[in-house]
Amino acid sequence: MERTAQTSAARQELGERVRQIAGREITFDGEGFFWDPHQWSEEAAMALAEEAGLKALGESHWAILRFLREYYFQNGRSPLNRQIKEGTGISLMEMEALFPNGIKYGARRLAGLPNPRNCI
Amino acid sequence: MASLRKIIYLDNAATTFPKPREVLEEMVDVYANLGVSPGRGSYDLSMEAEERVMDIRREVCQFFGGSDPERVIFSYNATDALNTLIQGLIRPNSRVVSSRLEHNSVLRPLHYFSHQGIIRLDLIPFGAEGFVDPVAVAEAIRTDTSFVILTHASNVLGAVQPVERIGAICRERGVPFVLDVTQTAGRLPIRLEEWGVSAIAFTGHKSLLGPTGIGGLVLSPGLDVEATRFGGTGRDSLSLDHTRVYPQRLEPGTINVAGIFGLSAGLRYISRRGLENICSREVDLAKRLHDGLTSISGVRVYPAILRDPSVAIMLCNVDGMDPEDLSSILDGDFGIAARAGLHCAPLVHEDLGTSPRGGVRFSLGPFNTDEDIDKVLEAMNTISRSK
Repeated sequence: MERTAQTSAARQELGERVRQIAGREITFDGEGFFWDPHQWSEEAAMALAEEAGLKALGESHWAILRFLREYYFQNGRSPLNRQIKEGTGISLMEMEALFPNGIKYGARRLAGLPNPRNCI
Repeated sequence: MASLRKIIYLDNAATTFPKPREVLEEMVDVYANLGVSPGRGSYDLSMEAEERVMDIRREVCQFFGGSDPERVIFSYNATDALNTLIQGLIRPNSRVVSSRLEHNSVLRPLHYFSHQGIIRLDLIPFGAEGFVDPVAVAEAIRTDTSFVILTHASNVLGAVQPVERIGAICRERGVPFVLDVTQTAGRLPIRLEEWGVSAIAFTGHKSLLGPTGIGGLVLSPGLDVEATRFGGTGRDSLSLDHTRVYPQRLEPGTINVAGIFGLSAGLRYISRRGLENICSREVDLAKRLHDGLTSISGVRVYPAILRDPSVAIMLCNVDGMDPEDLSSILDGDFGIAARAGLHCAPLVHEDLGTSPRGGVRFSLGPFNTDEDIDKVLEAMNTISRSK
C-alpha cells in the first residue's frame, strides 16, 4: 500500500507521457526515461537514437546498452560508474562522447532503464 | 568494500570523509562506558553522563562564542536545528528577511510559511562573487520583520558573508539575526555574541568532523524560541506542559548521546590541529584549484573570481557536458568524488544561470593534498579536451 503511494508520488513528480515508438506504446517520465524497462525493445532504442540525432547504433553502443540492461535485470539496479567502465571496457568519457546526449540522458535513457533520480 | 578504494574525496560540503579515526574511536569508547540516558535517572552513571554532556555544551558554547552553555541545544543536523529555530521564531503576519544564497534547509521552511500566508518573505540577491550586501539587508528590514536568517557561507560558491556588519545592523534595528554556519563551523572562527548574532545553527558531521545525526543551536541570552515539538525531558514530569527551561525546552526526547560524544571528539581534533591551520590549508588548496580550473579552456568556474573571505567550495561546468555526466566521468574514470546538481540551493543556480542541471561542486576538506588538486586539474584538462 505504502509502496504504491510512493510510486504514485514519484510518478506525479516526474510526470508521465505515453508515446508510440516503433509500433509500441511506451510510457516515459517527464525527462524521457522509461517507466517500465520491460517496454524496451531494440527497435525502440534505434528509434530513440535517431530522434537524438544518432543515425545508427554501432557495436560499441549496443555493447553499452546490453551491459546496462543485463546488469539492471541481474542486480535490480543500474551499475555504478566504475562497474560500467569495468563491464564494458569503455571509459565513461568515451561513452559520453558516443551518445549525443551523454551518459545519463543518452546511454541510460536509450537502454530503457528508469530515471536514476540522483539528488540534484 | 567500495569505501576501501582510493578516491579523491571532494564532497566535503556534503559531509567530511573520512572522519579522523581517533574521533570514531573516542566516540565508541565514551559511548561504551557512558551510553545511558543522561540526567534521566538518579543512578550514578546517568548523572555522570549528564555531567559529560554538560561539559560538551560548555565546549560547544565556547567554540562558537556563546555565553550560556544551557542555551546550547542539540539537534540531529543543521536542517533540524534550523527548523526548530524558524518554526519557533515565526510570528503570524510578520516578515522574514533571508537571501537567495540559502540552502533548502532555510528556503523550504520559509517558503512553506510564506505559501501558507503566515509570513511575507524578503529574499535578498547576491553579487557576482556570491556576497550579500549588508546595505540591502538594512533596506529589507521593516518594522514588522520578525528575524533575519542568512547563511554564513554559500554551500555552492563558498563566499563568506559579511556577518559582522549585518549583525551590527540587526542589533541596531532590534531584529534577531540567525546564522546558518553549516559550511563554516570547523572552518572559520565564529563569535556569536561578539558579532551580534542571536542564534547559530550548526551540523556536526561536516567540518566539525563528528558523525552524522548530530547538530545543534547556540542561542544568545536575549533570544527566546518557542518550542514546536513536545515530549519527555526528564524534568517536571507531573506537568503536561512542556518545560520552558533551556536546553530541554527545545530538546524533547532522548538526545543523541553517541553523536554528542563524537562531536566533542571532533572539536578536540580541530583544536589539536588548529582551526586557523585547517582553514588556511584548505583555502590555499582552493586557490590552487581555482587558478588551475580557470586556466582550462572550456571550463566555467563559479565564482569566476575567488575573493576573500571564502571557504574551499567552488562550482564548475565543462562546456557541452551535462554536470551529472561530468561527475560520473570524474568518478568512474579518475576516482574523484564531486557532487553534481543543484546542491539543494536552487536559487543560487537560477541566478548563476546554471539551473536546472546545475554544476559540479568541488568542496575541499582537511585531508586533501596538493597531489589531489593536481590530479583533479589533470582530469579536468583531459575531460575538457575531449569535448
